[in-house]
Amino acid sequence: MTEPTELLHGTLDALILKTLAWGPRHGYAIAQWIESTSADALRIEQGSLYPALYRLERKGWIEAEWALSDTKRQVKVYRLTDAGRERLAIETKQWARFAEGVARILLEPT
Amino acid sequence: MPRLGRFARELRARLWKPSVEEEVRRELDYHLEMLEQDLIAHGLDPATARAEARTKFGDADRFGEACRDIGERRDREMRRSEWFAEFRYDVRYSLRQLRASPRFTVVAVLTLALGLGAVTTIFGIANTVLLRALPFADPDRLVTASETTPVGRPFSVSEPNYLDWRRRVRRLSVIGAFSGRSPTIRGDAGPERLVGVAATHSLFSVLGVSPALGRTFAAEEDVPGGDTRVAVISDALWQRRFGGDPGVTTQSVELDGVLHRIIGVMPPGFDFPNRVDVWVPLAPSARYHRGDRRLDVVARLAPGATREQADAELAGVARQLSTEYPADNRGWGSRVQLLREAYVTPQLRARLVTLLATVGVLLVMACVNVASLLIARAGTREREMAVRAALGAGRGRIVRQLLAEGLVLSFIGAVVGVAIAAVAIPIVRDIGSTAIPRLDEMALDWGVLVFALGACLTTGLVFGLAPALHLRPPHGTNGTSGLGVLRSGARTIDASRVRHILVVTSVGLAMLLLVCAGLVGGSFVKLMRVDLGFSHDHVLAASIALPPRRSPTDSTPGRYAPERIAAFYAEIAQRLMDVPGVRAAGAINIAPFSGGNTSMGFEPVGQTAARADEYRSASWRVVTPAYFTALGTALARGRVFEDRDRSPTPDVMVINETMARVGWPKSDPLGQQVKLSSGRTMTVVGIVRDTRHVFVDSLPLPTMYFSHGQFPWANMWLTVRATGDPAAIADAVRREVAALDASVAVARVQPLTQLVRDATAEPRLIVLVFAIFASAALVLATIGLYGVVSYTVSRRSREIGVRLALGAPPRGIVSAVLGEGVRLAAIGVALGGAAAYGATGALRAILFETEPTDVATFAAIAGILMVVAAVASLAPARRASQVDPMVALRSE
Repeated sequence: MTEPTELLHGTLDALILKTLAWGPRHGYAIAQWIESTSADALRIEQGSLYPALYRLERKGWIEAEWALSDTKRQVKVYRLTDAGRERLAIETKQWARFAEGVARILLEPT
Repeated sequence: MPRLGRFARELRARLWKPSVEEEVRRELDYHLEMLEQDLIAHGLDPATARAEARTKFGDADRFGEACRDIGERRDREMRRSEWFAEFRYDVRYSLRQLRASPRFTVVAVLTLALGLGAVTTIFGIANTVLLRALPFADPDRLVTASETTPVGRPFSVSEPNYLDWRRRVRRLSVIGAFSGRSPTIRGDAGPERLVGVAATHSLFSVLGVSPALGRTFAAEEDVPGGDTRVAVISDALWQRRFGGDPGVTTQSVELDGVLHRIIGVMPPGFDFPNRVDVWVPLAPSARYHRGDRRLDVVARLAPGATREQADAELAGVARQLSTEYPADNRGWGSRVQLLREAYVTPQLRARLVTLLATVGVLLVMACVNVASLLIARAGTREREMAVRAALGAGRGRIVRQLLAEGLVLSFIGAVVGVAIAAVAIPIVRDIGSTAIPRLDEMALDWGVLVFALGACLTTGLVFGLAPALHLRPPHGTNGTSGLGVLRSGARTIDASRVRHILVVTSVGLAMLLLVCAGLVGGSFVKLMRVDLGFSHDHVLAASIALPPRRSPTDSTPGRYAPERIAAFYAEIAQRLMDVPGVRAAGAINIAPFSGGNTSMGFEPVGQTAARADEYRSASWRVVTPAYFTALGTALARGRVFEDRDRSPTPDVMVINETMARVGWPKSDPLGQQVKLSSGRTMTVVGIVRDTRHVFVDSLPLPTMYFSHGQFPWANMWLTVRATGDPAAIADAVRREVAALDASVAVARVQPLTQLVRDATAEPRLIVLVFAIFASAALVLATIGLYGVVSYTVSRRSREIGVRLALGAPPRGIVSAVLGEGVRLAAIGVALGGAAAYGATGALRAILFETEPTDVATFAAIAGILMVVAAVASLAPARRASQVDPMVALRSE
């Protein structure tokens, strides 16, 4: 285990979609989930999550609603839409193909 | 967290929705706080936790900015798509509403289609004729220049005067002159008469148009003695005679037996002055007779100069010329006019503007009618509106819904209207294109479609808004609340007064339109019945141009010396008389209404007083002896020409009655001598009846006739009277001409009736359009009246039921309902009549021998409208008297 890896461009969107596939949650919870699930291997500036969330919302892949948090505060909760679910499937497939291709080259014995 | 249904979520989103600014701030703040608290829970002290949280989060300001950006765009899109969704809903709803009441829909759509179709067609005419720029470079700087006779009438220009103008005038940068020719082209397909123009080389630079192929005349080809045997041809002739061959500029063409080198082809669409096939150099000569005025002049204003300045300067030059050359120029002046006005005469402009105004009135009528139908319907839909309001629809939302209905209706109307215009435009074009310049280019193009769409939107908004404005706010002044309406069916809309106003307006506008149409129609009947002074039935006209010898020494083969010209026409008359079915065969230099006129100054010899303002001029015509017989023009006194009136016998002339009055107000012209401005002196031997041969709608011109035997004119129209159908002898005429000289083309062979019809094409078109408007107006007024009266009856059915139940006689009910319709119509007729009385003065320009305040027309139209009003009210009145009291009482 070395330094945490910088995120590849565009993968954040996929990660958010995946996170929300487990159920609706607010921004902070999404950040927590990504960090803990990747076992801190991925490093993101947590703030960069928000422009991504707004972008995904505008594209109609996720939608937001205001809800009360455990601490009785108004928080914006995001959930995956049907379009988002389809998008996630596409991104997952693309990622797998990409990773497989890269791995095939890198793991080739020299 | 419970999963909310879509609608519940949308509802909540509508109930509580922070601004984007607030939304982003709350979200980011919350995140930072949570992060901080987590770190504190992991054992960091608050200050370190705070700093650590900021590091982990990144640049909050930058992220916030990005979020606000995206969020605002997201909200804009949402609002837009919501708006479209609502609009789509409104449109669907409107369509459903329209389907639900097909009778209303058909009437409203047809009403609008009538108005929009008519306005689109008329706009098409105005667009083609008035608005479109002339197809020349910078056309607003183009002017025509003409001489004016001592009595101030515009006249053609003589060659020496033109050359002096060109030298002396500074405010016209380029001046060009031209004169009509009709050369015959020889080829495999036989001789063909062309429309030709002899033009100065400067004409093309005045117009600012370059040839598509080759070049136009050089200056040295446009002087007497220069190499003038060159020709520029039109694109149409190039296609027709030369198959569009690009090598045409190396070829020659034989015009009147003389080979001309083709040096250029003009681009398609270029035409000056009118339907020209070929241009040849004019080569104006300063030595030509200064009193012989045959040129038309066009020029371009010098940079910075106005038409007025050029006019004043040219007038000064004309004054100089009249003192320098008093023999030919005394009293003559000049005039500079915009070229545009040569195409669209003030009279034609007045006619078209009148039509536009009239069709505007018709469109307003259509709007008024549909608005009144919509308001009547709004009355029956007030419950629906109240329900919508009670369910939370804002006033704005309901207005939008009503507007959408108006737009949907007017859009359907516009589609049908454009279809009507698509049918009408070719008809109008075919009728009018012979009389109205450039109308043949009229088409249903983008300009017209855009106009139709604009008219449709405007009308849709206007009559869609009418019922919307009429909606009372739920808590109206009459104290009924929205819920009150739901319960009691009380009326939030008291539309009867507004509807009465609309019906009165509609009838009034109909009165206005019908009076105009009546006046125009009446004057047209007068125009058609006007005594032309000759009979054109059974007369065949055909134009012949013999190539004349240019000088006594000209020996070019095929050219005619004066004696031979006289002999040719005498011979052809002889031959035609032998053709079965021919009763008389004459000839004249300009057939009636064939376009153009020739006139000349004259002085009765022996009469004193020759002041400039006593300058007298008359049209002149060259005729053969049988001309008067062929046209049936009656001899008043003296004699007509005979075969002996040929050179070298003393010159004689026949004059018409108007000329006799003008020239010899106190004495007998027979046997008197007349000195012409060309220098010849002739003796009057006969007086014939007046004829109208240039304009149908103005008084006969003073006219003098010369004998062809003494005045052998080369270009003549044969006028042949047949016993039966004149078209049947057309082939015989062609055959006899070919037998005399196979190289001579016979052109424009047609019944004389056709020429007369073409001359009246413009008034006929105007009358046709007015007749259409008038019928449309009558239909609209009837529909409007019928709709309102029957609606009133249905609203009053309960009251009528009560009256009937209480023993009122049905006859009384009928007369009450009938009375209301007739009363409304009477008010409309009175107001419309008053408006028409004030407005018909504008028609003076297009009326012929008819007063704009013609009492008979006003009375007749008022009578027709009242009868129509009574008929339109009768059906609902009868229905009212048959109301079943029990049904009526239960109905509400």
